[in-house]
Amino acid sequence: MAEVIVPVGPQHPALKEPVNFKVVADGETIVRLELDVSYNHRGIEKAAESRDFVRVVPLLERVCGICSHSHTTVFTKGIEEAMKLTIPPRAQYIRTIVAELERMHSHLLWLGVAAHEVGFNTLFMWTWRDREAVQDMLEEMTGNRVNYGTNEVGGVRRDLTPEQIQAALKRLPKLEERLAKYAEMVNAEETMLLRFKGVGHLTKEQALQLGAVGPTARASGVDYDIRRDDPYIAYADIPWKVITDTHGDVYGRTLVRVGELQQSLEMIRYCLQNLPAGPIRTAPPRAAPRAEILTRYEAPRGELVHFIRTNNTDKVERLDIRTPTLANWTSVAVSLVNQNLADIPVIVAAIDPCLSCTSRITVVNPKGRHVGEMTWDELSEHGREFYRRRGRR
Amino acid sequence: MSVLKEMFENLTHKPATILYPKEKVPIPPAFRGRIAIRDEKCIGCSKCAVVCPTQCITMVANERPVEVKGKTITRKKKPEVELFACIRCGLCEEYCPTDPKAIYLTNEFSGAGTDKGVVVK
Repeated sequence: MAEVIVPVGPQHPALKEPVNFKVVADGETIVRLELDVSYNHRGIEKAAESRDFVRVVPLLERVCGICSHSHTTVFTKGIEEAMKLTIPPRAQYIRTIVAELERMHSHLLWLGVAAHEVGFNTLFMWTWRDREAVQDMLEEMTGNRVNYGTNEVGGVRRDLTPEQIQAALKRLPKLEERLAKYAEMVNAEETMLLRFKGVGHLTKEQALQLGAVGPTARASGVDYDIRRDDPYIAYADIPWKVITDTHGDVYGRTLVRVGELQQSLEMIRYCLQNLPAGPIRTAPPRAAPRAEILTRYEAPRGELVHFIRTNNTDKVERLDIRTPTLANWTSVAVSLVNQNLADIPVIVAAIDPCLSCTSRITVVNPKGRHVGEMTWDELSEHGREFYRRRGRR
Repeated sequence: MSVLKEMFENLTHKPATILYPKEKVPIPPAFRGRIAIRDEKCIGCSKCAVVCPTQCITMVANERPVEVKGKTITRKKKPEVELFACIRCGLCEEYCPTDPKAIYLTNEFSGAGTDKGVVVK
């Protein structure tokens, strides 16, 4: 049978990383994947060079719509390292609370999206409803649901009042109960097991070789987490454990994320109950001395890296951002091979690339007989229909 | 089976959706909403315009005597904010030296409109 090229992307304005896949398929089976990244260059790195350390933080917060706290924390952490500042413990704990809440809202969002891609919209509704509790907590603590505006060089901008802490602690038991239900559901619900088990397999060797990060790597048995291996903010003081899994498929990635959700909740509870007293900021100097800093952070999607070069001024000379999604794309290319065309949505969604817009794909037959277009929804529908027809095997 | 149990439990509950705008969404006190200016307090120091990340605050000519630390001086300028360029980060409020703040974020969240050039004076 002739091979068919199925292009996916690249023009998806809502994507963090606009990407073009050329999926070469033989019938239903994927033979090869060609990747083309970096279409939508926004010039944030360059824009960061023209703003001082106060005004650059709100800009970096807008690199990503979900990991907004990750980008500001990793940047302020790097600048503080260059300035040799010691950040008050209370500020470190507040940063940790917001970081873990962010991880929870990101993972709950992911669980919903993954369920939606396999046609299990009921779970999508449930997780997004429960995610609202996390969003409300963030809004109460920081004043906004997405761009928290919490960080600044030298500490945090907003303190937590005892009322806010009590209100947040009150929400946790309900959330914990829901997470326990999801943990049970992922292991027992047949709809998910059928579509997740054995799909998009990535071995430990492949994960290491391709530099996969975050839950994608941890689901393949790579025991690697920046929060433990290069502890920053308050992670060294908090009791928690790294979640790994050996399945290596989408099912494993789901288990890792659900496990991380439960760990995050425990971390938030510990931080709220043991919040140290004291100031929330130290006054930073205006300029940072000449330095080159590589600063790392465990964002919800994996290791986030900022390279910062400062030059005795109040601006960065160079900022380079490596997002976790970029590190994970190559693992998608490998894990798609020999899979069904119907599994593209769920395998791509498994690295959590924020495919929030309607991607369009063009189906082209090399013999020129059939040229048509497929939207992301149609591809998802094709996936559902394929498995419905095939039944259980 | 866990899903079926969950489904039946949910049947007995009210929908989680808040029927906006019929029902109001609860707004926490710390919420950062639409920007506002308290002109009678402003001393025209320009700190807000300098710190604004999107440079949506411009200082326009407006002369008026104001009292700063017990002394009366003449302020020359006052801020104006291009509303839809404002990202509600709250830096202007943080850097404003007056008490109460001359430029601040309110709790008002609904700000949709068709006129792109709305200016808060």
